[in-house]
Amino acid sequence: MTRIHHAQIVANQIPFCSTQTSWSNSDDFLIRLNTKRHEIASNSELISVTMDYETKNKAALQTHNPFRFRRANPMKWNHRIGFRFIIVLCGFGWNASTRADEFDFFESQVRPLLFDHCYKCHSEKKTGGGLSLESPSDWLKGGDSGPAIVPFDPDSSLLLEAVRYQSLEMPPQEENNRLTPAQIAVLETWIRRGAHAPERVTAKIGGMDHDAAKKWWSFQPLAAINSPLTSKLIDQQIDSQIDEHNLPHLPIADKRTLLRRVTYDLTGLPPTPDELQDFLDDSSEQAFSHVVDRLLDSPQYGVHWGRHWLDVVRYADTAGENTDRPLPHAWRYRNWVFDAWNQDLPFDEFAMKQIAGRLPSHDLQAELDGEGIIATGYLAVARRFGHDIDKDMHLTYEDVIDNLGKSFLGLSLSCARCHDHKYDPVTQEDYYALYGIFASSKFSYPGCEPFGQPKDLIPLVGEEQVKTIQAKHRMEIAAFESVLGVESAQSETIADLMSQSSRVINEQRVNEGQTVPIPSNDSGNSKPISMRKGELLTITIMPNENHGADTTQIVWQIQSDLHAEQSWHSDELIDHFSKGQPTIRIRQADWLLIDRSSTPQLLRNPNQNVSNVPALVSFTNAELPSALVNQSKDSVAVWTNLPGRALFLHPGPQQNVAIGWICPEDGSYSISGSITDSHPAGLDGVSFRVEHFSEPALGREFATLSELNLRPKPVRPPDPVIPVAYGVVDGTPQNSALHLRGDPEQPQDAIDRRWLDIFGGKVLKRPDKSGREELAEWIAANPLFSRVIGNRIWQWHFGQGLVETANNFGSRGAAPTHPILLDQLASHLVSSGFSIKSLHRLILGTQAYQRCSQSGPSQQLDPNNRWLSGFSRRRLTAEEIRDSLLFAGGEINLNTATSHPFPPEREWTYTQHNPFTAVYPSNHRSAFLMVPRQQRHPYLAIFDGADPNTSTPRRQQTIVPAQSLYFLNAPFFHEQAKLFSTRFSNIQDTRQRLNAMHQTVFTRDVHQEEFDLYRKHLGSHAESLETGWVGIARVLLSSNEFLYID
Amino acid sequence: MRLQRRSFLQSAICGSPILSSVINKENLIASNGIGQTHFAPKAKRVIFLFMTGGVSHVDTFDPKPALTRDHGKEIKADHPEIKDRPGYERIFLKKPQWEFQPYGQSGTEVSQLFPYVAQCVDDIAMIRSMHTSHSNHYNATLGMHTGSFSFSRPSIGSWVTHGLGTENRDLPNFMVIAPQQTYAGTQVYSSDFLPARCQGTLVIPGREPIRNIQPRITTAEQKEQINLLKAINNLYLADRNHDTRLSAQNSMMDTAFGMQTAVPDAFNFSQESEQTLKLYGVEPGKTTGFGWQCLAARRLIERGVEFVELIDTGSSGNWDAHGDMMTHVSLAKNVDQPIAALLKDLKRSGLLSETLVVWTTEFGRTPFNSSADAKGREHHPWAFTSWMAGAGVKPGIVHGATDEHGLRATDDPVHVHDFHATILHLMGFDHEKLTYRHAGRDYRLTDVHGTVVKSLLS
Repeated sequence: MTRIHHAQIVANQIPFCSTQTSWSNSDDFLIRLNTKRHEIASNSELISVTMDYETKNKAALQTHNPFRFRRANPMKWNHRIGFRFIIVLCGFGWNASTRADEFDFFESQVRPLLFDHCYKCHSEKKTGGGLSLESPSDWLKGGDSGPAIVPFDPDSSLLLEAVRYQSLEMPPQEENNRLTPAQIAVLETWIRRGAHAPERVTAKIGGMDHDAAKKWWSFQPLAAINSPLTSKLIDQQIDSQIDEHNLPHLPIADKRTLLRRVTYDLTGLPPTPDELQDFLDDSSEQAFSHVVDRLLDSPQYGVHWGRHWLDVVRYADTAGENTDRPLPHAWRYRNWVFDAWNQDLPFDEFAMKQIAGRLPSHDLQAELDGEGIIATGYLAVARRFGHDIDKDMHLTYEDVIDNLGKSFLGLSLSCARCHDHKYDPVTQEDYYALYGIFASSKFSYPGCEPFGQPKDLIPLVGEEQVKTIQAKHRMEIAAFESVLGVESAQSETIADLMSQSSRVINEQRVNEGQTVPIPSNDSGNSKPISMRKGELLTITIMPNENHGADTTQIVWQIQSDLHAEQSWHSDELIDHFSKGQPTIRIRQADWLLIDRSSTPQLLRNPNQNVSNVPALVSFTNAELPSALVNQSKDSVAVWTNLPGRALFLHPGPQQNVAIGWICPEDGSYSISGSITDSHPAGLDGVSFRVEHFSEPALGREFATLSELNLRPKPVRPPDPVIPVAYGVVDGTPQNSALHLRGDPEQPQDAIDRRWLDIFGGKVLKRPDKSGREELAEWIAANPLFSRVIGNRIWQWHFGQGLVETANNFGSRGAAPTHPILLDQLASHLVSSGFSIKSLHRLILGTQAYQRCSQSGPSQQLDPNNRWLSGFSRRRLTAEEIRDSLLFAGGEINLNTATSHPFPPEREWTYTQHNPFTAVYPSNHRSAFLMVPRQQRHPYLAIFDGADPNTSTPRRQQTIVPAQSLYFLNAPFFHEQAKLFSTRFSNIQDTRQRLNAMHQTVFTRDVHQEEFDLYRKHLGSHAESLETGWVGIARVLLSSNEFLYID
Repeated sequence: MRLQRRSFLQSAICGSPILSSVINKENLIASNGIGQTHFAPKAKRVIFLFMTGGVSHVDTFDPKPALTRDHGKEIKADHPEIKDRPGYERIFLKKPQWEFQPYGQSGTEVSQLFPYVAQCVDDIAMIRSMHTSHSNHYNATLGMHTGSFSFSRPSIGSWVTHGLGTENRDLPNFMVIAPQQTYAGTQVYSSDFLPARCQGTLVIPGREPIRNIQPRITTAEQKEQINLLKAINNLYLADRNHDTRLSAQNSMMDTAFGMQTAVPDAFNFSQESEQTLKLYGVEPGKTTGFGWQCLAARRLIERGVEFVELIDTGSSGNWDAHGDMMTHVSLAKNVDQPIAALLKDLKRSGLLSETLVVWTTEFGRTPFNSSADAKGREHHPWAFTSWMAGAGVKPGIVHGATDEHGLRATDDPVHVHDFHATILHLMGFDHEKLTYRHAGRDYRLTDVHGTVVKSLLS
């Protein structure tokens, strides 16, 4: 027989999930299917179906059926809460025996063909092209190309077209598995007779049978509780299970152990000796609850428990896209989380603010408050993907939906991006119903390689205040620019005058390393130049072929014909350079150093000690061009050998530079001197040009420019600081299309924004908004919400939850060990107004929490300590280890840290070739460390820190050599150990010093056996006792007692 | 030859309470396959040579005479890299800049860029029909390492070490020698959700090749410290001796201590003959260059390391020759002789018969550009060449082909997933069965894809 029990196939787990859209074949399925072949179930389980497109009559046979009508559907398939109604084809005078005959024909003749030729690619497991051929609903729904079979009409059936190789060609040629004409005829006959076949037995929502889904434990309303929850009631449940499993009830731990346990538990830090003394001195029955109250009031509580939450929401300080851009404002969300835990913000409010930015019940007119906007940092810190992050926003929404589902509902909703959830009652429509809500929201933009800088950050001050700040900034900029404006106007005036009056006396090339004399005029004879007072003479140095710069020495003498004794020499400038004046007046004549890159500018900024040589002084505006002197008698070797007592001009690429001389008196002047390429390294030398500008106004205009230059240099006003949040606000409200197989390039019909089908599928009441507020309400009202957070709190106290899979309360998650207790915790949260601190008090008050750590016998009986006969010893987390090291070294900064020292946003040029990779050291608590995404934080990665790319429901506690290497050789560890040991170096007595150290890290004195070991150790370091003490410090800080909490 | 693989902690991991604390139980179910291959492996270990930036296939291992013939001819292509890119409205074929010639008995053609590797073609199975799913460095690099082109997932080295499940006493099982960081950061050798012991250990050639491996105090002081620590830990252990985590901390300290010797020893070439150093092109005392990396790789596998990846350059200054194909010259020169040396050396010692050597890059380079005279080539995910050699690989063959211009992988295309499936197959794993349960579902390296390329197998 070749019949298949459908329920079996349906139940056959499909373990993998595609995030991409190509499909490949597998022999594996055939093998598995073969093993599944056996007798068909009794006919009574089978229902034959077809569909009636016109009829949506809910009174028709009430059987739920997973039909899909995407492309196959001639009418628009607007969402209709999940279940599709089917009609049994029973109106054609069928009786049971006819039906059985038809089914028999299918199973004996048709199914084997489909099995041998089609199922490899088109079955429940592999729906190539979106098509499965396992049941009527599958082939009527069809795949990407439409319905595969039209009953009674073979020629309109795509399946027939395909096997006949008319349009599609199936099975593909290369499979060598084409159907014979006789086989095709069987298919034809079957379709002509109506393509009857048994439907799957069960109706499903997503990956779960409908009935099972409705009864799934975690979806049920919370069990009613009659009396308020107490620690005692919790203990009753734990104790009864301990008894049930014949386990010992371990005794209550001693006070020191308890204090250490609860202090690390609530604050992530060790207790101090004083705190222990207080606890020991408090003999009241409430002693422990006094400790708990004190710790819950400590601001360190919020940092530690807020960090638990940041694990869940995969908090990071970078965006994760290809350049891993920093998120300079994400810290506000981080700190808001810490504050919220400290203030015991009701957890439903905490959740709703993160999703919606506000409480839905608040006045709709009220503007979004700053705190709420910061809270939406939860959504905004979603990972960004790819090069141009807008193109991969569908992946960011997936990350959002994935995290939302896991964090608040314990459901893996993102599994339904490409297809219905394989195990849980979540459909692909559900996914896109939620997707629309986030696509209707506007996320702050972190920037990415093609679109550099962040935008859409949300100001945390009112619009008026923003306007005021911006207006002030505009005025400052205007003032700044007006100063520059006057200068540039002056420069332009000069440029005009110069261009109208220019006469080139000579222009020559100076080859590499050469010296060329300055000719006195263009005709080569020694006829003097006739000049009027105020006219300008210049020598301009130009790089050849624009290859940039050569240091060019200028020697230039100007001799008055009128007065033989009156002459000027450029060497006279050498000592004047130190005076820092841009124009140098010598005997009524002004010397000028002119940047001729564009309109003339005076080189105005003096630089002493160029290249760390005191004798070198230069004038520049930017790096190049420059004018430079060597004031020493000796030559100096810098980038080249610069001769002593010399003046140089240094052009840049396309940046000419000139020395100018303003004529002091009408007359004739003769010029002489030389130009030398002083940097014979390149190949192309420089050129120079001697120019006379016969415009007497130039002297005055340059004097004016010089005055302007001498005014205090205007500084560009800094960018205005508007406090902003990296968050999410409403965008354009719109429903999103379902993406066929998760591919945004293949949009299908739009799906109404709504709640999950399995929870009733309510549509938005206000579709004119994104829907985040309503979503937040739906989530917070769901029993999963309070169960999931109740379970997390329990887990963070005990190391494991009542439901071991804290992020998965679906069918692949673990069942609760104490289901009633879980509901009681959840109900208590609801009735206490979601006060987490009140739940802490209940849990910490139990004997279960206060027992000794698991002993050998109890561990043998219950290796995973599911029944909590004792406490589960735990290793410190990465943050706790580092904080404890800082604490021991006495250097820990317990204040709240704010932003990270990221470079200013304006300067970012990160690319995938040069991504952001900084690591910032800090003595703040480790919860404030900057956590990047593309590179794991080098320290946190060693000790199982949270994954910044996906929700971490629970920290691992691995033991790997990298950790031991850290304790052997990490510089930070050595530093802290040294600080720890020297903190107590003033204590002379060995035992006292050891006690002080032990009190600091273990809250106890040194034991005698330990003392003996340490004394022996110190004895071998008699020559250098402090070295011995540092060794002890290292041992203490890497010991098991340091790393583990009993 | 020294093979020092030892089974360490394995019994503890598989049967004792250490597991319940070290690895959460969800993982336990999926970890049953640890230490067991699905069938007899052909390869015991992998050396994975990754060329960063995208090596041009048509200039190295995929000869295209028609491309030379049709140089300058305009073509049309709906290519992801040039779509909507200004200046690329029209594109023209651009000929390779290096000559090809056949080598060895197999006659496989190789260009002048790889004269040394060319001498080894009879040991190589050339795959000229590789293709990938993304044209960005970041995504394609991530895909080549993890099978995922967007998300953070375990790398292939982590999957292999997870599957093999051996505990190496002195050295990590998965080591990555990279002078600089390639694209996509540490994700490329991350164990992600796999157990931390499967994490790739980064080796940066130079003074402190592995983080925190360099002692800050003398060996004697360290020994003293460890002994004191153990004594103190043992006092603590007295009434807690059922907790194997605590004793594991002590033995892990021994492991770390051993690594401080084993790592420098692995990277100390002073015992290598002059002839060997010359073969690899290593200058004594210098740790720069791919020759150092290749010789270090051989020494690591001799010491039991199961997966060694060598990354030649970082995320800049690599094979990404947009501006000028001539940059391929120095990059090829850096790797060519050392790779050939590695193959010859492994063959000589017999290690090649149980070691899989894989050479790849993240994608190819376009056989066209916006003008035929353009000096560079762009990213090309449609086709590139990778190769395999050694254990279980059919030597001296060419698998698959691109079209006449090297534009598309046309004959027997091999996607990155198929490439991964084949590597896992050679290591004795069915890529569909090497799974890990995480966040409620089973993950695998090849996601839902991948077919073993049978014709590559000997």
